Amino acid sequence: MLAYRGGDARAFETLYGRHRARLFRFVLRSIKVRALAEELYQEVWMRVIEARASYKPSARFTTWLYTIAHNRLVDHWRRGGLSLVSLDDHDAPSSMPDPAHHAEAREALARFAEALERLPPAQREVFLLHEEAGLTVPEIAAATGSNEEAAKSRLRYAMTKLKAALADD
Amino acid sequence: MTEERDPKLSRRYRELGAEEPPRELDQAILAAAHRAADRAHAPLVAPAGRHRWYFAFGAAAVLVLAVAITVQVEQRPDAEALLPPTASVPPERVDRFDTPAEKENKAQAEPSKPLADAGPPPARERRKAPAQQAAPAASPPAEVKPQAAEAARADRLEARQQQAPAVEPQNTQAPAAPAPASRAFASAVALPPERLLERIAELRKEGRHEEADKALEEFRKQYPDYRISEEMLQKVERKK
Repeated sequence: MLAYRGGDARAFETLYGRHRARLFRFVLRSIKVRALAEELYQEVWMRVIEARASYKPSARFTTWLYTIAHNRLVDHWRRGGLSLVSLDDHDAPSSMPDPAHHAEAREALARFAEALERLPPAQREVFLLHEEAGLTVPEIAAATGSNEEAAKSRLRYAMTKLKAALADD
Repeated sequence: MTEERDPKLSRRYRELGAEEPPRELDQAILAAAHRAADRAHAPLVAPAGRHRWYFAFGAAAVLVLAVAITVQVEQRPDAEALLPPTASVPPERVDRFDTPAEKENKAQAEPSKPLADAGPPPARERRKAPAQQAAPAASPPAEVKPQAAEAARADRLEARQQQAPAVEPQNTQAPAAPAPASRAFASAVALPPERLLERIAELRKEGRHEEADKALEEFRKQYPDYRISEEMLQKVERKK
């Protein structure tokens, strides 16, 4: 990011390539509509570009990026109130050849997705930041503006609920 | 890391899919990043297309300020000459600048400018001894100091005022209209984020909602990772 701040556009390409898919999934699974997710995803990157001059390497770039994403999500939720992307918006996983297994796995996946969707937004976000973005609890706390205890507790609750959904498999 | 991943949970989560952003979105974002990088260091708040004006007028303002200060310093001895002797530079400092020949000349000129003797040598003399001019310029008499500071402040203000219309040229066409938020925001850009939010809250309170909306948008661009407290959000966001 520092190289990009210094005018090196290729440094941005590297950063973008490293974070694009994870950030996109984080946003997509945090809100319901894919078109909105794309819009918000683009907005997050635009904010990164616009704020490059004020970027200070006091934290990992990943934490900074997801802090921006979190803020945009909060703005978005405040405007409308959204839930997770519905299962209908997903393509079924392609690596399941047996039809019986396929149906069973689909059902299990649906239960998991439903459990994820049912999580309170704060718990879901913490889980996504942990699982998708690979942030640690202190980084999650920094990105969401909460304390470590709260982040840890949310993550624990989220994982317990999701494990319960898996236990039905 | 104090927390552990559950492999089963992680696997199930991965099965949800590996969606990626569409290619055209990638291209749009990368193109924007390249454009921004080409513009060197863009200022934080100005919308696209106006960036270069900030630098041009910033440089002009610095030049104006430098010239104004120089003129101020050059003219200061004349102003001091009008002050009573006790309020001016001590006599020994005058002696330091005056050669015997100059003193003689001054004595001859005394009837025509009786007050001039009490002050430091005029600017043209100080120009002859540049090494010596720094001391009086850097430490003018106590009575003059606040005036000089005020003058410098006025110069800076003037320079800013000259800069402001250039930043938002469309404002000059409608001087009676209220200043747009972006302009107000640009002038307040040096303020800490908390103060900026307070200003936005003030705009909101005054019912200048469009300006407040724009200023808030600019704020979010400038500080995308700044977390606005709930209390402050109530003040700065437009109520539905």
